[in-house]
Amino acid sequence: MPTYDPIAHALSINRRTFLTRSAYGLGGAAFAMLAAKGLAATTPAAHPARGIIHEPHYPIKAKRVIYLCMAGGPSHLETFDWKPELKRLDGQPFPESFTKGQQLAQLQNTVLKARGSFIDYKKWGKSGLEISDLFPHIGSQADELCIIRSMQTEQINHDTAHAFMNTGSIIKGRPSMGSWLLYGLGAETEELPGFIVLTSTGKTGLQPISSRQWSSGALPSKYQGILFQSKGEAVHYIGNPQGVCQSTQRQVVDEIRRLNGTLAEETVDPEIATRIAQYELAFKMQTSVPDLLDFKNESPKTLENYGIKEVGDGSFASNCLMARRLAERGVRMIQLYHRAWDHHGGIEDGMRSAAKDVDKASAALIADLKQRGMLDDTLILWGGEFGRTPMGQGSGRDHHILGFSVFLAGGGIKAGTVYGATDELGYRAVENNVPVHDLHATMLALMGIEHTRLTVKAQGLDVRLTGIAGKQVKGIMA
Amino acid sequence: MLTRLRHPIWFAVSLVGCATLSAAEPSAESVSFNRDIRPIMSDTCFHCHGFDAKTRKGGLRLDLRAEALKAGKSGEIAIIPGKPDESEVMKRLFSKDEDDVMPSKESHKTLTTAQKELFRRWIQQGAVYEAHWAYVPLKPSNTPTLLAGDRNAIDPFIRTKLAERKITPSPEASKEKLLRRVALDLTGLPPTPAEMAGFLADTSAEAYEKQVDRLLASPHFGERMAVWWLDIARFADTVGFHGDQNQRIFPYRDYVINAFNSNKPFDAFTREQLAGDLLPNSTEEQKIASGYNRLNMMTREGGAQPKEYLAKYGAERVRSVSAAWLGSTFGCAECHDHKFDPIKAADFYTLQAFFADVKQWGVYANYAYTPEPELKGVNNDSPFPPEIKTTSPYLVKQDARVRREIGEFALAKSDPAKVSAWLATLRTYAEKNANGWSSPAGSFEIQKVSAAATPTKKGAKVTPSPNTVTPLEGSRQELAANQSITLKKPLAKTEEVVVSLQPGLRRVAAVRLTLPVAKPGSTSSLTIGLSIRNAAGKDRKVSTGFAEATTHDIVHRNGTDTVGIGNTWNLTIPVAGTPTAVWLLDPPVELATGESLRVTLTGATTQPIQISVSPFGGYDPLTAGAVPQSAAEQAVAYLCAVQPTRADFEQVKMLAAQLREYRRGTAWSLITEARPPLTVRILPRGNFQDQTGPIVLPATPSFLPGYRESTATQRLTRLDLANWLTSKDNPITARTVMNRLWQIFHGNGLSIALDDLGSQGELPSHPELLDWLASEFRDHGWDVKKMARLMVTSRTYRQSSSLRPELKDLDPANRLLASQNPRRLDAEFIRDNALAIAGLLNSADIGGPSVKPYQPDGYYEPLQFPNRNYVTNKDSEQWRRGVYMHWQRMFLHPMLVNFDAPARDECVALRNSSNTPQQALTLLNDPTFVEAARVLATRVLATPIKADRLNQAFRLAVGREIKPSEKASLEKLISDQLVYYTANPAEATKLLKVGLTPPPPGDPALQAAWTQACRAILNSHEVITRY
Repeated sequence: MPTYDPIAHALSINRRTFLTRSAYGLGGAAFAMLAAKGLAATTPAAHPARGIIHEPHYPIKAKRVIYLCMAGGPSHLETFDWKPELKRLDGQPFPESFTKGQQLAQLQNTVLKARGSFIDYKKWGKSGLEISDLFPHIGSQADELCIIRSMQTEQINHDTAHAFMNTGSIIKGRPSMGSWLLYGLGAETEELPGFIVLTSTGKTGLQPISSRQWSSGALPSKYQGILFQSKGEAVHYIGNPQGVCQSTQRQVVDEIRRLNGTLAEETVDPEIATRIAQYELAFKMQTSVPDLLDFKNESPKTLENYGIKEVGDGSFASNCLMARRLAERGVRMIQLYHRAWDHHGGIEDGMRSAAKDVDKASAALIADLKQRGMLDDTLILWGGEFGRTPMGQGSGRDHHILGFSVFLAGGGIKAGTVYGATDELGYRAVENNVPVHDLHATMLALMGIEHTRLTVKAQGLDVRLTGIAGKQVKGIMA
Repeated sequence: MLTRLRHPIWFAVSLVGCATLSAAEPSAESVSFNRDIRPIMSDTCFHCHGFDAKTRKGGLRLDLRAEALKAGKSGEIAIIPGKPDESEVMKRLFSKDEDDVMPSKESHKTLTTAQKELFRRWIQQGAVYEAHWAYVPLKPSNTPTLLAGDRNAIDPFIRTKLAERKITPSPEASKEKLLRRVALDLTGLPPTPAEMAGFLADTSAEAYEKQVDRLLASPHFGERMAVWWLDIARFADTVGFHGDQNQRIFPYRDYVINAFNSNKPFDAFTREQLAGDLLPNSTEEQKIASGYNRLNMMTREGGAQPKEYLAKYGAERVRSVSAAWLGSTFGCAECHDHKFDPIKAADFYTLQAFFADVKQWGVYANYAYTPEPELKGVNNDSPFPPEIKTTSPYLVKQDARVRREIGEFALAKSDPAKVSAWLATLRTYAEKNANGWSSPAGSFEIQKVSAAATPTKKGAKVTPSPNTVTPLEGSRQELAANQSITLKKPLAKTEEVVVSLQPGLRRVAAVRLTLPVAKPGSTSSLTIGLSIRNAAGKDRKVSTGFAEATTHDIVHRNGTDTVGIGNTWNLTIPVAGTPTAVWLLDPPVELATGESLRVTLTGATTQPIQISVSPFGGYDPLTAGAVPQSAAEQAVAYLCAVQPTRADFEQVKMLAAQLREYRRGTAWSLITEARPPLTVRILPRGNFQDQTGPIVLPATPSFLPGYRESTATQRLTRLDLANWLTSKDNPITARTVMNRLWQIFHGNGLSIALDDLGSQGELPSHPELLDWLASEFRDHGWDVKKMARLMVTSRTYRQSSSLRPELKDLDPANRLLASQNPRRLDAEFIRDNALAIAGLLNSADIGGPSVKPYQPDGYYEPLQFPNRNYVTNKDSEQWRRGVYMHWQRMFLHPMLVNFDAPARDECVALRNSSNTPQQALTLLNDPTFVEAARVLATRVLATPIKADRLNQAFRLAVGREIKPSEKASLEKLISDQLVYYTANPAEATKLLKVGLTPPPPGDPALQAAWTQACRAILNSHEVITRY
């Protein structure tokens, strides 16, 4: 199979390309332009932000990812994994045969008791997927979902578990999933960053989240996720300084271009041409972000569907609508964190409240994308960094990594299906287990990427999202 | 040894773009294993046929010659020297059979025809293996002969390679460019117009060298070099995991700056950081240096297992130490033998074992499920011990400055005659009470307090009734002057002791409690309340201001000690000294005849308590109350005690609050404290729960020269490791450091992967030069300044940085150095440069706590435990250098992120250098840069000759005269903007309010218009690039 691409190969095997930034510019294109212009580079390099993969490795089923991250680790037992046997054992000692020798978090050195689900389940849609009553709206979209009940991760604490879920590793300097996608596929927009992160918080169960989770690690920083803040200015430094109107800003940017052009006339340095291009991009972003943030043309019905009280209020619902607007504009990866799911105690109130925050909006996002014909090529991932113990911890549940649930929706997945299962107490995934690396390999495949072939040289290794593991989960791919 | 390299660059290039290789590789050339073959093998063969036995296939190893020459499982011999056609390797490389071809299909790796041909010729020429270049011993190499044009020993190495390709070096850069370049490289700051003028006027032969020496002697050299080393040492102000709480370690940063400024030899620098605490009679400075070992990320997350995190910390330390000093990537060996380099899992854990004595907790909390009794009472606001209390010269200086300012202020605001008159009224008192304090006579008794009735009904509005107080019968005692109160038994919770004093003073400015005969080790808790009772028995409350004690229990907030004690004084009695607490009265009180001062004390103490009062005011409880001596002290005492103007006193209070932030010059810093070493085992697959692996003791990496290992009786220490790293046995530390220093001054390392000198890295472009530099460095005193001076005074360095189109195909990455490489400034220097150009930079201060410049609001919102509130500096600390910026690992300042500064979670030897729209947005809109532009506008508008203003802006910004086209264009911008702002004065006013600098006097429209021109200049590529 003659898929060898010398440029992609060189880029992927050799970080030194980034290191040297090939003094004369990549691929000679910039240089050819310089030469043609008598070494005077006054116009921006005019090619869109392409990725390193020119020929997809697989048919492209999804063009973008929306990752709805339920940060803190939602209980699989009260979301998507109904365990009648656990309910029956409620309050009784948890069978030791399950837990012996396993790593626990806050339940270390305590007496373990079973905690049954506090909520009932219903079968939804034609597919009859079982989903808890906390999520009636998501239930109404059951036929669009592929629920994985056999997820497993390796990290039992929030910080490292998020790192593992986003980068496939807990070693620092590993690129985040969105950075990988940008690096591999490029972006379909120049006016917005290709990887955007939004956060929102619930009332309880809050855990901190680090900007490391959207870092580009060893990849150049242009692949990093950009945080849209829910408070203050949405994008850092996107607004003009006070007392500077758009026309003045334009004149200043023009003046910068002239100064840089003069510099290029006497100095051969391709970075000058790139710099000129970046100012144009920056100015485009400055003009397009206000449009992005202007929800005026969203109908009251749409706002109602998402459950938005006030647009741009930083709520998960508002962020979901923003996710759709970003998807429409060609952003490659959109990641929404909802910090509300760490229910060591008060799980009943906590989950009811957190589910209320996300249920309607998650469902509305799926429906909205579908209605706009975008669900087919958008891949949605909904889930946390781990699950929660079937053993109680006071009035809550502890962290749990041996079995938990997520769902996928959209491009290339088997909609209306369930994949994998945990044992009768929801303790351990026992059927069609899906380790995090396999989920990553599958998501990349749906985006047209063979996970072993998207690599970057760092610290003497061909680093990749799936570490040294990962296999595609064919059972969830349509 | 290495064969003579005629075309090394070609190989380096071939890895980047294989296409350029084939046509150019001359066929008669002798093939070098290290240069030509090892990189191919490393990339395509070693994964299955290399160091790691677990992934080895077909029983074949290609990394060892003896193995490669043996028959494999198939019976075929992989390599038969001299006989490529009979060697199985060649058959496989050229095979058309999908199942046979190598590299295998699954690897997705392929070799070019040229690479296959290289293999063939290498086997033809005898298949000679060479030890990996970075690991072979460093031989002192001969200094090459200088020819005309060479400025020092570096140049012949570069010249020879260029000459082989018939390339002439570039001419020397202009003097303007040269001084700007070397100033930015050595200090991270641009030359001032005066420095530039001086250099241009200096026509002596040594003019440039004089500038180099001036810059090397500048304290800013240390700040510049620290930016480099702090990445490697992963210095940060926060712990990095989960809650990302603050850690206290800025004195370590200042140690690094001082080390470079004092040109501390690199071997001592190494020893002090790795083992400063183990040095005989280690100094405070050496202990602070040992904080290096504590810069790994730490956690306090609930549910985290201490053992798991200790394993994570241990593993990180191996990665960071090996990256910092060995330029090697040990990371993979945590789980298995390295696939490309001879690093075994055992090497990983024997290196880790050196650090098994570093006292640290896996989880910095005392959670019930993972008790850590030593951490009792630790909460999310607590620091991360062990720490040392030290003195910060910066803080001492600031402390003295504010005290001086308060004195000057008081002198300026008080009438000397009135001060003297006031002091005269106290002369007799002062003679009697030489230290200013007196303990008046009076009486005391114990009262029982009954709590007021509390509302019984939830939500019902009840006005709380005052507590009722009943004197305890028979408890009243007289108190003679200078007598202490001694209680027969501790006060019950419902009791208080009320002391009634007749000070005989009209004015009381401060009240003091001392525990003159306190028992060391016992605890005490006292809460004070003050009032005045008049002759009619009516009380009025006395308000206290700031209070402080010589010793008290520390309360932490966000990792830092809170200052002062409030009304409650909790302490453990120290072994030495008399515990003393002083409450400043705010305002001081005036006692009328017949009035008594009532001091109410509650709490748990059995120590005799002495109460004193003083009429002499002050702002610092620990010095207030004394009889003032100097004129300034007298003025301060007067201003604070008599308070002729309340506003002046408020100003003093404001300054005093600022003073307290300087902590009397003291600071804490994380240090290494040795404990009995923890057991270190090889962890199978890095799994901390798998305790089946063998126990290992400290030993140096087995694949490097000069191997040293522990014996049953003699366990090697961190000091032994440091000594080995900097010994004459070890070649790789010197190679690593010189390669990185070269990168600072030339844009690329001689070997380009600064973090990996292993086989996945790159053979240096000039191996002999790197070895020469390394031996100069190692064998002649580890002298960093000397090596830096050597590099920047070479002809190679002084060349023009304009790239040469005719070399684009010959040397696309400019690895032969036919010219200098332009380099975008590092994040910190982009900031420093803009502030320096504007004249805003506070460069006089060196060291001190990290600073907080403007940052987008709400940026820390996702941080918790505790919640974080970023408060920007409101004084000149706002404009300090980037090296001092608060380094929040989980949310690094966006400006730093946008310009590629790393979060410093782990060792970083090389930053990316990107060119992004976020950078443009930062320079255009970040208040730091907008303020710099407007202050620069004010600065150039002050140029007396109007026509020279824009020229002056260019001299400041880029060290050169403006070009006519630039001038014309900027003048047009200014005149257009002047029209706009004249018509929109409110907009001009708004713009001139960006940042803390007060808006300038003069025409706002003119200032605003010029601000736009200055923004354009500060955004130009030339300003952020060192050419």
